Amino acid sequence: MSEISYAAPAEIDHYRQRALVIGVVALVLCAASAAIIKDRIFFSYLVGFVFWTGVALGSLAIAMLHQLSGGNWGVVIRRLLESATKTFPLLAILFLPVVAGLLFGDLYEWAHIEKVTGKEREILEHKKFYLNTLFFLGRAAFYFIVWISLTYLFNKWSREQDETGDRRLQRKLQILSGPGIVLYGLTVTFSSIDWVMSLDPEWFSTIFGVLFMGGQGLSALALIIALLVLLSKHEPLASKVKPAHLHDLGKLMLAFVMLWAYFNFSQFLIIWAGNLPEEIPWYIRRLQGSWKWVGLMLVVFHFALPFFLLLSRDLKRNARRLITVALLVVFMRFIDVIWLIAPEFQEKDFTARKLGIVMDFVALIGVGGIWMWFFLSRLKERPILPLHDPNWEDAES
Amino acid sequence: MSTKDIETQEYIPDHLLDEPTITPVIRPGHTFGTVTDKISAIALTRKTPRGWYIGFAIAFALAMMLFYSLAQLVLVGTGIWGLNVPVAWGFAIINLVWWIGIGHAGTLISAILLLLRQNWRTSINRFAEAMTLFAVACAGIFPVFHTGRPWLAYWLFPYPNTMKMWPNFRSPLMWDVFAISTYASVSALFWFIGLIPDFATLRDRARSRSGQVIYGMLAMGWRGSARHWHRYETAYLLLAGLATPLVLSVHTVISFDFTIGITPGWHATIFPPYFVAGAIYAGFAMVLILAIPIRKFYGLEDFITMRHLRNMAKIMLATGLIVGYGYMMEAFFGWYSANQYEGFMIRNRMTGPYAPFYWALIFCNIIAPQILWSRRMRNSVPVLFITALIVSVGMWLERFVIVVTSLHRDYLPSSWGMYRGSFWDWSTFIGTIGLFVALLFLFLRFLPMISIFEMRTILPQAEVKEAKE
Repeated sequence: MSEISYAAPAEIDHYRQRALVIGVVALVLCAASAAIIKDRIFFSYLVGFVFWTGVALGSLAIAMLHQLSGGNWGVVIRRLLESATKTFPLLAILFLPVVAGLLFGDLYEWAHIEKVTGKEREILEHKKFYLNTLFFLGRAAFYFIVWISLTYLFNKWSREQDETGDRRLQRKLQILSGPGIVLYGLTVTFSSIDWVMSLDPEWFSTIFGVLFMGGQGLSALALIIALLVLLSKHEPLASKVKPAHLHDLGKLMLAFVMLWAYFNFSQFLIIWAGNLPEEIPWYIRRLQGSWKWVGLMLVVFHFALPFFLLLSRDLKRNARRLITVALLVVFMRFIDVIWLIAPEFQEKDFTARKLGIVMDFVALIGVGGIWMWFFLSRLKERPILPLHDPNWEDAES
Repeated sequence: MSTKDIETQEYIPDHLLDEPTITPVIRPGHTFGTVTDKISAIALTRKTPRGWYIGFAIAFALAMMLFYSLAQLVLVGTGIWGLNVPVAWGFAIINLVWWIGIGHAGTLISAILLLLRQNWRTSINRFAEAMTLFAVACAGIFPVFHTGRPWLAYWLFPYPNTMKMWPNFRSPLMWDVFAISTYASVSALFWFIGLIPDFATLRDRARSRSGQVIYGMLAMGWRGSARHWHRYETAYLLLAGLATPLVLSVHTVISFDFTIGITPGWHATIFPPYFVAGAIYAGFAMVLILAIPIRKFYGLEDFITMRHLRNMAKIMLATGLIVGYGYMMEAFFGWYSANQYEGFMIRNRMTGPYAPFYWALIFCNIIAPQILWSRRMRNSVPVLFITALIVSVGMWLERFVIVVTSLHRDYLPSSWGMYRGSFWDWSTFIGTIGLFVALLFLFLRFLPMISIFEMRTILPQAEVKEAKE
């Protein structure tokens, strides 16, 4: 087999340019809307940023898990996962508008402690050691350094593995992946606290980081399954991706759907049953008014529907049906991230509230377009299939 | 060079260590016949070793101590335990959680690893499942006797009755009744169904009349026909599917016993996944504690190879890290919550009267197992055995710390108190260990401790040769 035949399909270029145009247009729209909805735009942007960072992080975690566990399900998506992890430098730049929201906007209440009074002020004073602008930025820098270094090493050894096929590289990748997953867990936990939980600086939930890990894994997996199905219309994937691969990936997606529901239900039941004044307001905001329909939608379309659909063996082995479910899950991941972030905007500006929801989607498309452009450019650089993955022969049979 | 030599030699290149050709699931040289002979001989023909009698006698004596302690409890009342306000949940709940947790590894090995097609599970699943059953039996003793009137335990079930009383469905203790009884039934069913083809093997090989009759009845008319096998495989997979959510749900419900209330130190949203990870952690530690002496004593190193021990060590390391993550989140949010009761609870755990227990648990569960990062240590049987023992102790301490430190100093300093287990607490706890070991000894003697027919399927002989011509 010649390596040329494993090159990524030329159609990628087509998708790539389209993604860039859509992304730029959407982001320009976001910037323009700031004239009407003011600070609300920062919340929308945060939705987009958090979702796409989650895709990259989820891909990193799944790629490292695959190194540790083996299994042929990972071979066909390995290059897609790796390309997704190469987007961290871009995401670091895309973080800058969030910083702007922190410094100049009203995104994080704790950053403007002088405006807060009463009991709330006391709580913020207590948390000042952790929730202050400088430490927040320092931590963000630290997260990005960890993610960029991990993915740099991972992709470097992976490239060498492609070129040389040296079995020792496999071992190196495994040695990196063990501690890598530990680092992933810690950085995701604290970044989720920083970027999302601290939108309501009084609220806390110890499962929050785990919730994020489950959500990121699901976002990444669903998106990558959708991309794999799309790309497998073309060679070389067309002859390599077999129903058995889709079956395994579908099962994995089912597992993540269940995990996501399990973490969320645990958090909800415990906080609902406890009904404590410092915990329950977070849910009250999300379960009263129109948000309660969004919450219900999550239960039905983020859990129940994909769960029952993915139980079917035939569905998992059928590319067209599987991609439909995967796209549904991606869309519901959008909704979930919006549901986590947007209700924290509490000003009584109703135009901003209503238009803000629209802008949440525009920002998701905007950040997503740029991300996708960058991601596809990385994907093009290397063969679309890992030549010397030790699970390779297994996967072919 | 035989595989044995390779495995015991000083240096194996790292990247080759997990190659199936270097460390297979079964050492090469075995055939269908030798596997069947070797495993069934333990239950059938071999003379009972003297060590078995000694071990069983000790375990049986401890089990008798358990029954004596329970009789005392029924005669005198729960007052003989060290329980009192403010610590009204003591050893009973600690031991319940500890034992139930141990059971989880059995279910994980038998159900989840089966669904994940991890065929190395085959040589350990049978006795891990037996361990699950016996552990659940030990666990069940505590809540039932904690009620003080175990003969009325059936009141826990919702059934129409003349008292017009219903259990409180909003109480997680009620959910426990369902979760644990479901768990016990599914585990028993799973175990028994897995045993049927092996019972038939024992029936066919038994020389004594009583053996033939008893194993014959247990085999339920198994003839090994293709139709039997077809139904059998379907039933087994379905049961595995049923048992899989139980691995998560049972300990999740156990964690709700704590979290649904608002006691600081119990009311934490991380508890469900962290309890599940802790359960699997403790369970794998117990499987190692049992597997290492058993394989040595019965000479089963061919079947329970270093590969099994290493894989279990890896699972222990991973789940241990999740447990460590749980502790870290508790400590961080104790401070971050800015809630004075949460903050006090975590400070009291770390520096209060029970601080030595807390730090011992950190050592046992977090620090000591980090040794398993090293490949060399994972390859050393004594290290694995000692680490597993330490983890077992650590997981007991964890439950002690969670239960006792949260209760002994509550919102009102005037009602603070201290707790320690009484003599009867300890005799009951140690007694359940005796019961557990005694049951295990009986299992090892009379039933095939390794699944004979599943072992046959992973032999090279079972691989269907492809037509090459």
